[in-house]
Amino acid sequence: MPIDPVVYEYIASEVVCPANEVIIEEGSRGDWVYVVLEGHVKVKKRTQKGLVVIDTLSEGEIFGEIAFLEGENADRSATVMAAEVPVRLGILDKELLIKHYSAMSPTLRAIIKSLAVKVRETTTRICAALVAAS
Amino acid sequence: MADSKETIATTYRLRYKKGDQIFKQNDFGISIYKIVSGKVLIFRECEDLEVPIAILGNGSIIGEMIFFLKATEVRSASARALEDSEVEVSHPKELFKEYEAGAPILKLMARQALNRLKRMNGFIDRLIVNEQENSQGLTSSLNLWKSHRRFYRKKVNLACKYIVKTRLSGFNATLDGVIKNISMTGLGLEIDPRNESNIPHEIGEVFQVETILPNAREVKVSCTLVRSSKGRGCISLGMTYVELSDDTRKTLGFFLLPA
Repeated sequence: MPIDPVVYEYIASEVVCPANEVIIEEGSRGDWVYVVLEGHVKVKKRTQKGLVVIDTLSEGEIFGEIAFLEGENADRSATVMAAEVPVRLGILDKELLIKHYSAMSPTLRAIIKSLAVKVRETTTRICAALVAAS
Repeated sequence: MADSKETIATTYRLRYKKGDQIFKQNDFGISIYKIVSGKVLIFRECEDLEVPIAILGNGSIIGEMIFFLKATEVRSASARALEDSEVEVSHPKELFKEYEAGAPILKLMARQALNRLKRMNGFIDRLIVNEQENSQGLTSSLNLWKSHRRFYRKKVNLACKYIVKTRLSGFNATLDGVIKNISMTGLGLEIDPRNESNIPHEIGEVFQVETILPNAREVKVSCTLVRSSKGRGCISLGMTYVELSDDTRKTLGFFLLPA
């Protein structure tokens, strides 16, 4: 998908990650939000049978947003790693994101947070189902 | 969670008895619900099955997907009271205004999260359908083709070509395999173990599989790898379709009709 122009206003820095490098580790703490500028990343979940690929994200797609939107030091819901070729990422300005998010009413924040929680829970369910089916 | 004083004037409270339905999948609706007391089951309805998604309690919000969809689509899941429950129902008119005026980056993040959730809900349905089909032996109870006939998982021995359908350069080599069984929801494939050494075959990866049916009709489908097991001299892969075009559905449906 093309990069939404609005994203550029928030990119604080850029980083290039080598192939297969872990960018976010499931279970760790952190709320940096990233956007894929060039290349691909794989989103993986830990299961009893090892890491399972649940998504591949390409240019313009944002990741790391679930922990950010959930807030309250939520842990990372999945592992994200560079695919088989190096990937160029934009790291979004966290302070600016927090400022905008905090400006929303508690009700609106609660609705967005609820969406993020459901993404996390549904992802976990899918992994369990995939493992059960394998 | 939200402070009830924050909600708009069109907020009211409803009480549900244990077992009462709060809202139903595929219904149109715009209201957002906040659980004040009790427990609520969120579930997806697929064929005759109810698939639990979550059990939510005090303070949780339900029905929020419709908010991000601006009520342009039907509800994606059902909700039922698991015990006597009280919920606060809000018409989100004012929240819509606030959301629209909010930072575009947050709307973009929410939109992407919503799309992921929708994709995953569809994926859960396909897994369930596949499981249901397998648990019923060879017979499928699905009405995926609108003729409302019944279809079978057919044993076949069809040479096929397949590629990893990621967008990665350098991983677009065409590989050979043999389709051993095929249904309206997925297929079983046997491949040479060397295929796996050339290109990763990870659970969750999407592949494009092409074959020609015995009736000379060509079939090209995108599939998600859901199972992989090593056999004697080969690897067996279980795949479910990501999506079937109408033409492919008809072609497969005709081929899979009981003789």
